[in-house]
Amino acid sequence: MSVQIKGKPEIVTIQWIPKYTLMERIVHWAHTATFIPLLLTGMVLYFPFLQPLAQGEAGIFLRLIHRIAAVFFGLVPILYAIIQPRRFIMNIRDFLPEKEDIGWLKGAIPYYLFGRHEAMPPQGRFNAGEKLNGLVMIIAWVVFGITGLIMWFGKGVVSPIIFRWAVLFHDLAMIASACMFLIHLYLAVAHPLMWAALVSMRFGVTSADYAAEHHAKWFYGPKRAMEIWEAKKREAAHKGGH
Amino acid sequence: MARLAMLIDTSQCVGCRGCQVACKQWNDREGWLYSRTRNRGTYENPPDLSPHTWTRIRFTEYTGPDGFRWLFLKEGCMHCGNPACVAVCPTGALKKHPYGMVTLERELCNGCGYCSQFCPFNIPRLEFDPLTGKGKSYKCTFCQDRVTNGLLPSCVKTCPAKALDFGDREEIVAKAMARVEELKARGYTQANVYGVNEVGGLGRIYVLIAPPEAYGLPAKVEFPALATVWQKVVQPLGGVAFGATILGILGAFFIARRNIRMEEVK
Repeated sequence: MSVQIKGKPEIVTIQWIPKYTLMERIVHWAHTATFIPLLLTGMVLYFPFLQPLAQGEAGIFLRLIHRIAAVFFGLVPILYAIIQPRRFIMNIRDFLPEKEDIGWLKGAIPYYLFGRHEAMPPQGRFNAGEKLNGLVMIIAWVVFGITGLIMWFGKGVVSPIIFRWAVLFHDLAMIASACMFLIHLYLAVAHPLMWAALVSMRFGVTSADYAAEHHAKWFYGPKRAMEIWEAKKREAAHKGGH
Repeated sequence: MARLAMLIDTSQCVGCRGCQVACKQWNDREGWLYSRTRNRGTYENPPDLSPHTWTRIRFTEYTGPDGFRWLFLKEGCMHCGNPACVAVCPTGALKKHPYGMVTLERELCNGCGYCSQFCPFNIPRLEFDPLTGKGKSYKCTFCQDRVTNGLLPSCVKTCPAKALDFGDREEIVAKAMARVEELKARGYTQANVYGVNEVGGLGRIYVLIAPPEAYGLPAKVEFPALATVWQKVVQPLGGVAFGATILGILGAFFIARRNIRMEEVK
């Protein structure tokens, strides 16, 4: 694909390479499309200034929306696991933390705030931040599911003590996943370095140059990616020396 | 305004259940909904509190130091001094009235049922559709409409055994104490007062002639700790977390925008 950038004469060519499968994208967006209404209808019980929306008929209606969205929110990963079990397990493995992810944590501020590319070690198809997001969302899905079912069907069935714990953990899962969601939204939509992230989640493809820059471990393989990164660091240190 | 309370003298109660009927009549509750009368091997009826039964006499067969006897306990909202239901209600439907009773504004209720699950006495009852969650909470309001107009609650008004009394809470507590002394003098060695200090002091002051546990009342009852953790720790923590996240993102947005140009499309 050829693109002309505003205010620049030259035409650049983008070489698109596949990144996400159709199913991965469907799962991602189905999760998003159910998570957001759940978050919004849940907030009504959380912020005192939204209390009028929680009252009476409005509250009953929003609780119904919350439950309808919850059914689909719960079903999406289950259907994914049934239809593509191997891909499903692979994705969960992708999100598991590794020792190397500490490098991302150390490099995150110079990289994301000051654009120092050499501070960021090579990342896989999911960088460590995306992995953390995925992991938090998976744990939250499990906690939401268990506690939500208790709150939905457990009144008068389970002990009130269990119900009280469920309310508490439903809130904790919401706090963790909502914060994660906001950060994820910012990085995907508004961060200047991450321009291709949203493109690839929408269309399944990413620019080869972008992948080489931001997902080197996936693009080149771990060994070659490390060599390139070492070279990049040496160059940056050399420049910085003057 | 002074806090009001109900005196329930179980030594006077004859278990006639006139209070149950008067409550249903005044509050316009269905007789048989949830609880069609049938033989369960006890005179107690209906079997439990429900959205249509806000007060009920619990019958307990008790063998004490003086042999076998019935214990009659008038169940219903305790109108706690520190009500957990009011603390957890997300709609503001449950409120503490200046007179001390816990009122329920049903138009505001959305049927979430937190009140029923956090009440240490298991009082509020939900009438709800388990699938959609559409519902409302119900409980005794101390006949708010009568009491605020200078009348007695309907159960107190009707009690033929004079086991119920209603009025200024301090006077009610004093009456209960005096009654217990009188009962002790007459040989009821286990007589005691229940409700003076529990959960911020209850709006129901019971004169009991056996230990509270014998009636099925919790001997040690407190404001539920998880309600405190949830509302005083987790919810403010969530507010701080949201605030910090949004500030962090805004900060990152402006710093990154100054330092990094939108990466050229390659």
